[in-house]
Amino acid sequence: MSEFVIKSMKDLPSVHLLGAGTAMCAGCGGLQALHEVYDLLGHKTVVVNAAGCMTLLANYPYTPFRGSWLYTSMASAPAGAQGVRDALDILLEKKRLPPEENLTAVVLTGDGSAYGMGLSATSAAIERGLDFIYLCYDNEGYGNTGQQTSAATPHGARTATHAGVAGFGGEKKDLFAIWAAHRPAYVATVIGAEPLDLARKIQHAVSVKGPRLILSLAPCPTGWDYDPMDTVEIGRLAVKTGIWPLKEYRDGKVSHTRVPHPRLPVEDYLVKQGRFAHLFQPVRNDKLIAEIQARVDEYWRDVG
Amino acid sequence: MFRIRFHGRGGQGMKTAGNILGSAFFGEGFEVQDAPRYGAERRGAPLFSYVRASRTPIQERGVIDNPDLVVVADESLMMLPAAGVMQGVTADTVILINTRDAQGWQARARFPGVVLAVPAIAASPPGGTPPLQSAVCAGAAARLVGVIRRETLAQAVRLELDARGRLMLDQDLRWTLAAYDAMSAHAGCVRERVAERNGVTAAPDWIDVPQDSVRRAAPDIHATASSEQSLTGTWRSFRPVIDPGHCNRCSWICGTLCPDSAIRVDADRTPHIDYDHCKGCLVCVAVCPPHAIRAVAEGKAAACEKIAQ
Repeated sequence: MSEFVIKSMKDLPSVHLLGAGTAMCAGCGGLQALHEVYDLLGHKTVVVNAAGCMTLLANYPYTPFRGSWLYTSMASAPAGAQGVRDALDILLEKKRLPPEENLTAVVLTGDGSAYGMGLSATSAAIERGLDFIYLCYDNEGYGNTGQQTSAATPHGARTATHAGVAGFGGEKKDLFAIWAAHRPAYVATVIGAEPLDLARKIQHAVSVKGPRLILSLAPCPTGWDYDPMDTVEIGRLAVKTGIWPLKEYRDGKVSHTRVPHPRLPVEDYLVKQGRFAHLFQPVRNDKLIAEIQARVDEYWRDVG
Repeated sequence: MFRIRFHGRGGQGMKTAGNILGSAFFGEGFEVQDAPRYGAERRGAPLFSYVRASRTPIQERGVIDNPDLVVVADESLMMLPAAGVMQGVTADTVILINTRDAQGWQARARFPGVVLAVPAIAASPPGGTPPLQSAVCAGAAARLVGVIRRETLAQAVRLELDARGRLMLDQDLRWTLAAYDAMSAHAGCVRERVAERNGVTAAPDWIDVPQDSVRRAAPDIHATASSEQSLTGTWRSFRPVIDPGHCNRCSWICGTLCPDSAIRVDADRTPHIDYDHCKGCLVCVAVCPPHAIRAVAEGKAAACEKIAQ
């Protein structure tokens, strides 16, 4: 695929490599992004999967992958990827593995691991210049255990651990900036609802070596409390309202691949999700809606 | 002691039902345990919750395997051995099923004891939000045990659902109490049994599992995409149906956006839905630019197929 440049939807794969029949929820935004990524990466990968929703992908004796998969604890997926990479490099060096059979180490974790428990191991792996792709499906909470607050939960969202009228009072951690601050090979945000933007970024990611992050917002019908049918609409609204900026970091610079214009009010995105229902019912919480809007406005003002 | 098991699917609120009933017992001065039990949390996956309530300190622990009352929120679980609905029931157990055909289930399960149907509580206004399963099941169960007063139950509903930020508490409360009232003819039909004391319980039948080699204990999967053997098509309540006349053979938007890789596009750009695996999320219905995909209720789809044949 390195010679072939994806320009339009028609260039996207029409046959899928990721097997159906997984135990993910119907309408899972994380699985949507994963299959779009996997259709492009293919079987020459070792997926190193930290504990999370996607632990259920390879549920013995079933796997949706056509290549290898390794399961690690929540905090240690990048360390697992290091071991896989080292082993492959040794085999290549000893000529026990022909170069055409080389594999890519792909870490796959949710936000609980990527933003929280696994961050230290991730930082160390980037520091060591580990050649790997990190794919995070960010559904903004510990979804596999009932959507408790994680370091990726946005301000004002209701979670199992912040069920009050104000929702979660803290802030969503900026993982993109944390990665970029390490000056890695590549960092990009994507979303399954924008498959073309995603495909272009994956194409760039595979063309470079070193630590690479693909950070995907993963609309979650179960944890965000909306009809599974709305997964794509909510994903598109996350982009159009500016809540989820599509951007990339390469060669020391951050650029936005999609600047929403006109930018829709965040309310359009919030009102569709049960986790924000307390902002609208039984009485409208104008103050909190304005707070959320202000954060987004501030972000885009800085973008210029 | 009362031992009650609630069976349902993730999303049907059986954890909440257990919490409501537990709090209601507690309000009547009982010692209570209530806990949910599930594997990975996922909408639609079978799960159960259990409640023990006793007038003396409870010394039993763990899952209830000798229930006095089994509540089944989803009758499709009856057919699923893994759900373990009938585990440990005896002729003295009362089974309360969300069904229109309690007698049918009694016959099919060859169950000698009492089988009751969860009362059908109509939505009000008609066509409005259907009643919350957790509220209805908890309300019915509370009446069957015969030791919970109406006002104690109401207080338990307020306590449990208020904490969950339910917005229509009055409605939830009405449903719970309507179910409670509807079961008046069967009040107290669940028998209270003597609690087992510590040290009196029979030792479990241990099975010795010898340590296996790593190769055997942590086996590899050598097949690719074997997940396709899991037929997740059974999850659907609605199925997407493509109208080939309206499909404009676009650049496979449905196939790309289907989270489950369940839409394949063939060489002449015609999309095909893999009904063995389609989970019925209906994302394709929502994204199809010419609206060429309809959602059809599974029951109707099956009937249409029969006619077509």
